Amino acid sequence: MSRLPALFVARRNLSRNRLQSALAALGILVGVVAIASLGIFGNVLAVGADDALGDIGTQVIVTPNADAGVQSIDDRTVAEIQRVTTGGDAVPLKTDGGLVTRGGESAAATIYGIREPGSLYTAAEGELPRPHRQGAILGADLADALDAQAGDNVDVTGDTYRVIAVLEPVESFTPISPNDAVMLPESAVGGDGYQQVVIRTDTGAAATASADAVEATVNAREDVVEVFELSSILDEINEFFSLLSVFLLGLGGISLFVAGVSILNVMLMSTVERRQEIGVLRAVGVSRWAVLRTILFEATLLGVVGAAGGVLVTVALVAGLYLATPVELWIVLDPTNGLYLLGAFAFGVLISVLGGLYPAWTAANERPVDALRG
Amino acid sequence: MPAIELFEVTRRYDGGGETVVALDSVSIAVERGSFVAVMGPSGSGKSTLLNVVGLLDSPDEGRVHVDGEDVTDVAVDERTRLRKGTIGFVFQDFHLIPTLSALENVVVPTIFDPKPRRDRAADLLERVGLGDRLDHLPDELSGGQKQRVAIARSLINDPSIVLADEPTGNLDRDTGERILSELTAVTDAGVSVVAVTHDPAVAEYADRTIELRDGVVAE
Repeated sequence: MSRLPALFVARRNLSRNRLQSALAALGILVGVVAIASLGIFGNVLAVGADDALGDIGTQVIVTPNADAGVQSIDDRTVAEIQRVTTGGDAVPLKTDGGLVTRGGESAAATIYGIREPGSLYTAAEGELPRPHRQGAILGADLADALDAQAGDNVDVTGDTYRVIAVLEPVESFTPISPNDAVMLPESAVGGDGYQQVVIRTDTGAAATASADAVEATVNAREDVVEVFELSSILDEINEFFSLLSVFLLGLGGISLFVAGVSILNVMLMSTVERRQEIGVLRAVGVSRWAVLRTILFEATLLGVVGAAGGVLVTVALVAGLYLATPVELWIVLDPTNGLYLLGAFAFGVLISVLGGLYPAWTAANERPVDALRG
Repeated sequence: MPAIELFEVTRRYDGGGETVVALDSVSIAVERGSFVAVMGPSGSGKSTLLNVVGLLDSPDEGRVHVDGEDVTDVAVDERTRLRKGTIGFVFQDFHLIPTLSALENVVVPTIFDPKPRRDRAADLLERVGLGDRLDHLPDELSGGQKQRVAIARSLINDPSIVLADEPTGNLDRDTGERILSELTAVTDAGVSVVAVTHDPAVAEYADRTIELRDGVVAE
């Protein structure tokens, strides 16, 4: 006999009807798996999306307003945009398209004329000049397609450039993806003015503030430019994911609720089966509180075993998710996922205790005379 | 001072629209160390008497004294505590807990105490001749052995009174006599025994026999 007699008696009672106990614990297990895995999957989606979309929240794209007949952004407007930008840089871009070739390989690419590539991108090899006066900078995919490295020569729409740098691949979503692009000095790309100005800030709030400032100054009299600001979209996306999380947790919650009902059912059946026995306990002087405690212990034990199993199964499922999909390890190991595990465990145990409460209460309070009569 | 006294105890039940008087102004006193047999036909109120004496049931009228103290109106938890300290129960169907060993069954009344009385339980089982059966489950014991375990359980808290409900009801004659001599041995230690029974053999062992008829003592 252990130091915790209620626990000892509870364990003996549960082992009496192993199948029934196992099924009740299984119910809790499934409920905990449902709530924890759905919660974690939702969280992984949200964290992954946040990572992929993280950059766009700090970007503002300014383009000429074609509806008002504006074809390009002139130097004066660029200067104005740069003046009102807060907490980041405004980088003007000239945009064109064309064929890039090297040796026998060729690929269609977006051509950017850019003065300050270092404000927007980072180099995987070579160095990004400030300002960009000569040579070509290749996006990661383009360099791959051409099998080109820094130092090679490439042919861009007929002119030959030396490759001075290759950019790091950019995985997150951005309206100006550099992966399939080649960056040339501004002077190499024809046309007057710029096709877009990219504002890159440190925070989403700075992006919003800069966008508002551009609207207020550059567009003060007429809409010269269109301002495309993404942090508001990001807010909506985040809102969607929190809604999705609540929805998934709700689904898990329902299955855990069902599991709680099955615990209630099992404990009721078991107390009815043991009615006389509980009557004997009460008759020989075992207190109502001790009877209540024992039955609650039984329910809790079922809950703890089921919930612990549920946590293990969920960990296995999440490991499977990591192995089967391109989800990155750090997203899977995000601490908030641990909170979901912990929360689901606690909730599973709590539901079990609640399920045991009513049977425990009725069994403890039945008059021993009635219970003994059977 | 008697171990237990009933003064003018009346107990009624509402059954099927009419009131049944199970005990009608019953007054009895059980002296310390005496063996009292309560006999009577079915429905005579024997079980009700045992329940009232055993503090499992309260009378509608009259008073109940245990060790000279009026316990008629004590609350549920105090009643439980009194049962534990002063009353031992032996049932017709033994009512052992099937998942617990003989020893653990004897310990049961104290199992939730800070110090369950395992040593005393082992002594008691030794005394009723089951010293070599401590770890057997009830299923592994004969009827007579189970009833001896039940007697040991009834004595675990040094009660002043042991109440036995048809203690020989499920046993053959020889085994029944063994049980009765165990109960007689109990009275030698100053414990009162009240046995409710149909079995005339019980009366032979009793110091005194109370006849109940329709809830009235017809001694």
